[in-house]
Formats: sequence, C-alpha cells, structure tokens
Amino acid sequence: MIEYLVFAAAFGLLLLGLHRKVIARVQMRPGPPVWQEILHALKFSFKSTWIPKTASAALYVGVVLVGIGIWSAALFIVLAGESILILFAIYMLHKVVEHGFGLSSGSPYGKFGGVRSVISAASEIPLFVTIAAIYLFTGSLLLRDITAYQAVHGPFLLIAPPVAIAMYLVILSKLPYGPFSIVESKELVSGYKTEHFGVWRAGISVIDGLKTFVLLYAFVAIFVGAVPFWAALVIMAVILVSLSFVCAITPMLSPFDSVTIQGLITGLMLAYVGYLWWVMP
Amino acid sequence: MPEIGGSDLFVLEFGDILHYYSPYTLTLFLLALIFTGLAILSRPEGQVDIAFGGDAYYAKETAVSEMRFRRFMTIACGLATMGAMGSGDIFNFTLFASLVGITNVGIVAAVKSRHVLDAAYEYGIVAMVATLPLFGGAALILATTGTLSIPALAAGAIAVPPVGKALLALGVIGEGMAPFYAAKAEMFRAPGAPYVIMCSLSSLLIFLRVVEIAITI
Repeated sequence: MIEYLVFAAAFGLLLLGLHRKVIARVQMRPGPPVWQEILHALKFSFKSTWIPKTASAALYVGVVLVGIGIWSAALFIVLAGESILILFAIYMLHKVVEHGFGLSSGSPYGKFGGVRSVISAASEIPLFVTIAAIYLFTGSLLLRDITAYQAVHGPFLLIAPPVAIAMYLVILSKLPYGPFSIVESKELVSGYKTEHFGVWRAGISVIDGLKTFVLLYAFVAIFVGAVPFWAALVIMAVILVSLSFVCAITPMLSPFDSVTIQGLITGLMLAYVGYLWWVMP
Repeated sequence: MPEIGGSDLFVLEFGDILHYYSPYTLTLFLLALIFTGLAILSRPEGQVDIAFGGDAYYAKETAVSEMRFRRFMTIACGLATMGAMGSGDIFNFTLFASLVGITNVGIVAAVKSRHVLDAAYEYGIVAMVATLPLFGGAALILATTGTLSIPALAAGAIAVPPVGKALLALGVIGEGMAPFYAAKAEMFRAPGAPYVIMCSLSSLLIFLRVVEIAITI
C-alpha cells in the first residue's frame, strides 16, 4: 500500500512541476525544472522544524496529519472503485484543512488565506451538481459502476460534456497560479501555507501531490472510463497541460469576482441538471 | 437502500430510532470526532494583528473564561454534528442540524469584538430563518409518506416529494453554506482557531450528509 502512496505523491508533485514549467514557457520564461516540486518536498523534509510561539500547537500539527490522511483515503477510494460521494466529501473537507492551516498559526497572512478559503466555498457546489448528473445516468455513485456504464455507453466526456467542463473547472480552482487561486495569492505571501515550514511544509507538499493525482485520476475514471494505468497517466498529464495553459493566460481574479464566476457556473450546471432530470425517462 | 455511500458497515438501534453507518457517513463522523478531539486538546492561538501606520504588531490573547465557554460550545457542536452524521431519522437530523446552527453562534458569542459579534448576529438570523424550510421539508415528507425513517423512505413504498427534499437541503444550506455564508465568513476572523474551525466543519458535514439523504430517499 505504501508504494501506491509514494508513487501517487511523487507523480502528483511531478505534475505540479510540469504545471509550473508550462506556465513559465507560455509566459516566455525558462521556468524551474519539472522535478522542482519533488526537490522542494525533499528539501523541506530536512529543514529545521519547530512550532511558532503564537500557534495553537495541536491544531497546527494536527491539520497536516488530517490532510495527509484524507487524501491517502481518497487515493484508495479511487483505486478501489468506491463511492465518488466519499471522494468529493474529502474534496470539500480539504477546505477545512486549508482553514486550519491558515488559522492555527496566528499569522495575519495565514488567517486571510483561511478566510478566503471559506469565501471560495462556492467552487465546491458544481461538484455536487456533477455528482447529481452522473447519478441520473448511472443510478449509482460507485466508481466501478460508473466505469462499467461507460464501457457499454461510451465515455461521459461525450455523453454529458457540460458535466466534464464543470469538474474541469473544479480542478482548475484547486490548482496553484490559476484564476481562482485566491487562497495562495501573493499579497498574502503564501496564504494559508505561510507559517508552515520544515517538515510541516513537506507534509503540505505531499498533500498537494496526492490531491493533484487523485483529482486528475478521478477525472479520467469518471469521464473517460477504464483505461490501462499508463494511458491514464498520459491522459492526466495532457489534462494538466491544458489546465496550465488556462492558468498561464488568465489573470488571478479578485476574491469577489472569483466567487461570482463560480456562482454563475453553479447556476448554469443546476439548469443543465434540471434539464437532464426533465428529459430523462 | 441504494448504496450511494458504500455498503452499510453497521446499524445502531435505540429502540425504534436508528443510526446507520456506511463508509461515507463513518468518514464524516470520524472527521467530526477528530476535530472535536483537536478542539479539546488545543489551546487557542495568539492571533497576530498588525497596527497599521507603523511597524508594530501585537498578539491577541484569549482569556481562560472565554476559552472555557467557547470550548464547551465547540464540543456541543461536535457532538451535534456527529449525531447528524449517523442519524437514520430525518426528524433527528433536522434537530441536530438546528443545534449546529445554535452552537455555531455560541462558539463566537464570547468573543469581545464588535465586528465578529455583528457577523454572529447576522448569521444567527439567517440560520434561524433557515430552520423554516428545514423543518418544513421534514413536515412535508412526513405528511406525504407517513414516516421520517430514512431506510423506510428509501424502500420507496411512497415517493418522496422533490420539493420536500429541496426544502430540507435549503434549510441545511442556510445553516452556513454558499450562498448564505457571507456573515459566517466574517465570524472566522475571531481568534481561537480550534473553536472557529468547528463552525466551518460542522456546516460542511451536515451539507454533505443532506446530499446523501436527498439522494437516498
């Protein structure tokens, strides 16, 4: 089991490195090496580590462990083909982890990162609309049932493209340097991550790697269907590069604009699911 | 029952009141338990504020009496959330959900900040108004089907009216989810991270549970 976790975290970090590289090249900068995020995680693992005097110690450390725990669980849920409802619950609960990171240190930068994380909760709603739409087709939320449905009827990417676009935007809202990345905006230094350093920061890197891997792998499983593992990895990389292009050419939105656009997407998705519910037998 | 959150792991019976746990509801229950444990173990952080116009900054301290009250409300909120996660009865779920709204206000009620108290007051009004669709939805389901037991409703003998489900979901969303969370986000400026975080967690968890209930019934 541990080998799955290590691979997923390392591959996720590699994808995040690729993300930075693509953004840099689109913006005509050389950018860091692709493996930079893995090097960061290793570097932070050996940096001196302590807990700030102003921090709420148990929460400061606890949220790192909770974050690693929930995304490890999410990985095994996806690999085992279990309920995507659990997966998306974990996605939403990641917001509480971000909130915990931001508030536990006492830093004003972390605090505002945490508050922005709560404000941007609108980004999660399209996720449930996605789930509702998939349930209308399959009558099940087990990932293995969803892939079995696609084996008969074709990929959901073609059956219900607006749903795939909604989840694509959900993943975009969790990527760094994107239009919705208000929780890590530079005016907040590193946002909710600002005061976590050393081993704690390495833990955050592991969380980011696992989260990236799980969300992209889930996207492939839900909207493309059952493909060989190597093919899934290739498709994940292609999706990520497309997301990187979006991030590279889109300025970061202000917090309220970010919430407004996510709200509009939610409204459109609700209308689409309402339409599906109306027309489906 | 449709196994949208995975197969049932175990059922806990209190007479005719039923609690059931699937991998989904157990995950939510455990998270509520973990964060309640963290609230018990943690001391509040010293929130640092910058005094604008100079280089000065200061750390806010949370008084022991304030900390005790807020910790009590946080534990109450955690227990209400845990109850809502496993409940197999919609009436019990609505009671737990409204208790979450009350304790959320309580968690920040002792904070001596006008801004935070104003936000808590505004949130309290929204949460109170939201109890109308919350209990209204449950009442509508009961009037239509004659039961509020989730397994009985999931059996599908009588169709649950979609408007009942929608009102139930609206009531839970009013307890602190988008788009009714504007005042709640301002409450999070209060110091005392282990307690404040429970406001955020509890709303998310009861929302996640009502999604499961709405699909199941």
